[in-house]
Amino acid sequence: MTYSPARVRELLTRIAEPLRAAPASTELSALLARLDAFQQLPDERLDATTALEASGAPLGAMRAIPGPSRGLVGATANELKKLAEAELVAHAERAAQAALEAERNASDFDATLPAARVERGALHPIVAVTRELEDLFTSMGWTVLDGPEVETEHFNFDALNIQPDHPARETMDTFWVATPPGAPRLVMRTHTSPVQVRAMKRLKPPFRAIVPGKVFRNESVDASHEHTFHQMEGLVVGKNISVGHLIGAMKTLLRGIFGREIEIRLRPGYFPFVEPGFELDARCPFCKDGCSVCKRSTWIELLPCGMVHPNVLRAGGIDPEQWTGFAFGLGLSRLVMLRYSIDDIRHLLGGDVRFVSQF
Amino acid sequence: MKISYSWLTRHVDLSGVSAHDVARELTLSTAEVEGVHAFLPHLGDVTVGHVVEREKHPDADKLSVCKVDVGQGELLQIVCGAPNVRAGLKIAVATSGVTLPGDFKIKKSKIRGVESNGMICSERELGLGDEHNGIWELPLELRVGDKVASALGAQDWVIEIDNKSLTHRPDLWGHRGIARELAAILRRPLKPLDAAAQPSSASKNGEVAVRIETPNCSRYIAMAVQGARADKSPLWLKRLLLAVGQRPIDLLVDLSNFVMLDLGQPNHLFDRRRLSADGIAVRMARAGESMKTLDGAERKLEPSDMLICSGAAPVALAGVMGGESSKVEGDTSQLVLEVATFHPTVVRRTSTRLGLRTDSSARFEKNLDPDLPPLAAQHFCDLLRTEQPDVRVVGTPTDVGDWKSTARRVPMRFERVRAMLGADISDDGIVDILQRLEFGVEAHANGACVVLVPSFRGTKDVTLEQDLVEEVGRIHRYGNIPERELEGALTPPPRDEGWKRRMLVRRVEDRLALAAHFHQLVSYSFVHDALLEKLGLAATPHVTVQNSIAEGFSRVRRSVMPSVLAVLESNRRRSASVALFEVGKGYVPSEGHEPLEVHEVALALCAAPAKKDARFDHNSLARLKGVVEDVVRSLGLEAGAWSKCDTAPSWANPGRCAELRIGDVLVGELAPLEPGLARALGLSGELESDTALARLSIDALLGAAQRSKLYQPLPQFPDTLVDVALALPEERAAADATAAIERCGKGLVAGLELFDLYRGPNVGEGRKSLAWHVVLRASDRTLTDQDVKKFLERVEREAANLGGVLRRE
Repeated sequence: MTYSPARVRELLTRIAEPLRAAPASTELSALLARLDAFQQLPDERLDATTALEASGAPLGAMRAIPGPSRGLVGATANELKKLAEAELVAHAERAAQAALEAERNASDFDATLPAARVERGALHPIVAVTRELEDLFTSMGWTVLDGPEVETEHFNFDALNIQPDHPARETMDTFWVATPPGAPRLVMRTHTSPVQVRAMKRLKPPFRAIVPGKVFRNESVDASHEHTFHQMEGLVVGKNISVGHLIGAMKTLLRGIFGREIEIRLRPGYFPFVEPGFELDARCPFCKDGCSVCKRSTWIELLPCGMVHPNVLRAGGIDPEQWTGFAFGLGLSRLVMLRYSIDDIRHLLGGDVRFVSQF
Repeated sequence: MKISYSWLTRHVDLSGVSAHDVARELTLSTAEVEGVHAFLPHLGDVTVGHVVEREKHPDADKLSVCKVDVGQGELLQIVCGAPNVRAGLKIAVATSGVTLPGDFKIKKSKIRGVESNGMICSERELGLGDEHNGIWELPLELRVGDKVASALGAQDWVIEIDNKSLTHRPDLWGHRGIARELAAILRRPLKPLDAAAQPSSASKNGEVAVRIETPNCSRYIAMAVQGARADKSPLWLKRLLLAVGQRPIDLLVDLSNFVMLDLGQPNHLFDRRRLSADGIAVRMARAGESMKTLDGAERKLEPSDMLICSGAAPVALAGVMGGESSKVEGDTSQLVLEVATFHPTVVRRTSTRLGLRTDSSARFEKNLDPDLPPLAAQHFCDLLRTEQPDVRVVGTPTDVGDWKSTARRVPMRFERVRAMLGADISDDGIVDILQRLEFGVEAHANGACVVLVPSFRGTKDVTLEQDLVEEVGRIHRYGNIPERELEGALTPPPRDEGWKRRMLVRRVEDRLALAAHFHQLVSYSFVHDALLEKLGLAATPHVTVQNSIAEGFSRVRRSVMPSVLAVLESNRRRSASVALFEVGKGYVPSEGHEPLEVHEVALALCAAPAKKDARFDHNSLARLKGVVEDVVRSLGLEAGAWSKCDTAPSWANPGRCAELRIGDVLVGELAPLEPGLARALGLSGELESDTALARLSIDALLGAAQRSKLYQPLPQFPDTLVDVALALPEERAAADATAAIERCGKGLVAGLELFDLYRGPNVGEGRKSLAWHVVLRASDRTLTDQDVKKFLERVEREAANLGGVLRRE
């Protein structure tokens, strides 16, 4: 039965009727007066709360009601009480639903208000790209090696077939470490290649390894030159390793870096620790017919590489008649710059949080 | 190095092969070409004209008004200021609209009231040298109206080759060497050099006496020449020299340069009248000696410099530059031509030391073929005689030295060549390539042969079988080699020290950058002296480079922390708070050995100072401590214990420095920035900051004990929460009290959080109040009020033992 003031009046009438027929008493008169007062209320004031209060009047005065009427009056009063209680629950539910609806029909919403500030940090882009390459190579069974930044002249030059009178040894490009007379000479390594020979001495062929790391050149600094930058050396030693394997590995590397097939070309390049030595060019991944990155040539000079020189294998204690290998030296700093279109190499090691936080 | 396309055609037929084709072929087989550009492109815009009439300008004495036929039917009126302009001349005319070098655009104009429709050009105005005494008089047989470039056959392209790609190829430092490569690549014959047909007979006791007193000169040819005149060079010679960036001077100098640029063999001309009758001596300089070089500079010499001397006096710095004293003067007719072979390193060291890099030194330092000098001497002689037929060689040229031919024999296995390249080239194919490169092949049996390396390739480049692999590969073209997959068992990399370190570093980086929101730095390994000074480490031994990139930037960091400190102020200036870390290496010198390498992570948290009433843990030090503990936990290590550090690092406030030990292993330090250093770094006053630093040793973390990773059963009985506050003496460490409370729980303490630190009148001078939320829990029952009461009684007793009291509200 749905709640309405008419229904309440009807129940109140049904409560009052037997009482009026009963013998009069002071209590009974008072009760009837109260019931009449409820009956007199206008509809808008006869809400569930009032109805509940009205039902309480006869229920609270049961003892004043003569026996024969008591059952009927009690039952009717209870009926009124239930009706009022049900209406209270229903009312609360309607109010809750209205509130939900109001929440859904928000008119004060602005999708463009700024977000709450969330602190964030960042890995350095060199580290991020290094990891990507490490993951690529380790997934193909390559080992990742590390080597010292302060290196001996032996590993940096001699073992790499760089003759004692090679111009690179003199002060132009190499940072020489002050060492006492007679002690082995030390340099800030000029490339990651010394780890080639360190690796040969430690690992048994066949093996495949990469060596990411910091290298140093005594060069004047500008937007594209730094005295400290990062390289990644690669070295494979095995049976019958050929130029064809080098080409295959380099294509795989580029697929990993750029996420698609990249055309490459090898052309002669001279480095004392490889023979034959190559420069590897990649078809410019940024354009079809020339752009500023490839200096309008459609080729990007990407990395020097070559077949490991027999003298280098020998320096690493490996018999060049038994084993052959290839090596490459990827310019990590340059790759990072290419990847993110960074136009000034000095940002990389400059220590400005505004730079690092972009990655 | 600049190579002229038309110069190359003197040595090899390039019909059907453009300059760009040449560039591509060389790039793919020989050396890196940096660019190709047209030589003097405006010569193609300038027209051959004929001066039909010349009259004096009505208003200017030095100007002429010319009527010029440029083949357009109508004559052009041009005003010209040159003294040599006259009717009948064939001249170069830049008509209006043409742009000359220097972006000089020719326009119709009025000169002193007379209309002028173009310009009659001098050689200099066309970029053809310094000649500017008058207009350029063209050969009379040229056809009016043709472009000057095509009329003169002066169309040319300049091919720029990267010098670095030629360091190992002395034979490529002249046009003939490049042409020889092209001949091999294109399968065309190399044209013979006339000089080769008529070998000169030279002797040790020739006309000019030469004494070699040093092993650094292996061959010296001196040829006396009579009757030469320093005339202007013919146009073809000037044009070729200009194309490769050489300024024409006179025939003698130009031919000397031409021979060098043609054959790659530097040479030098002396004025014979200015040489002593004793002849020439080649020797090393003596201490204290000096000489004036051709450029007019007085050079102090060292015993490592090689000299050409006449009598006792130096007349040339061997292989680098001639001397002022024996310079060829314009009026001479008696010359001595020097063509020699000098030691590459000696020449390079001298030229590097003096900062005197010349075309000559650049070639000698590559190690030149000792068989080249007689050819070069003859070539010079022949070219000179073509221009001045009455020139003659006086007596016999002198040729001394103990050179050995660098031609050599290298054994080669065909199968090895194929295997190294991974290319299927037949034996005949390999032989063909080698022969095209002028290598000989002999004794061909059992899949092996002996290759005869010509002297011009044997100076250093080709000595091993492996070098022949390159020769075959580059001419075969690397692009023709099929790509191959690496084969072999795929095994995971060994879990060795290096692997463990790399994995640990990754976790540290991830935790710091991605969880703690720190920014990662990668810095220079060099630290500035000024920073070391501030750190009080100026006197500490560092790995030091002898030739630093900048003043005071010679030392290599022993620890990563200075690198982080170096950028703290600049970043803090831009931001209210800065959180940085770097994982890297430091080097500790070890006398006479390789330096000790340390792997570290340095952390810095730098923010505006905490508010006065901030909670005890709302400051950089406490936050950074939390970050460090989180890193340690994420590495799966035992939590370790903090204690006051007695030997604080120089960056740390020594009174507030904590060290973290896991078991016995010291893994790092944590402290506020040393206050004096904060001031020195600019992190005080205007930029007042609350800065905390920490250092963790990667090596120590690698060795630290792992915490148990076994599962703990979930609690089955409810927690009882108790707050405990103790008033304690200031010197009592929080960790001692925390441990005491834990003991009082007799196994019931399931959690402890120190949430308040208070100092003030309520606890008294020299004392502090610490408060903990304590979680009590038993694994077998629900705790009662009685349990809590006993716990607090025990805490009260323990507090007394610690010199403090349990505070009750």
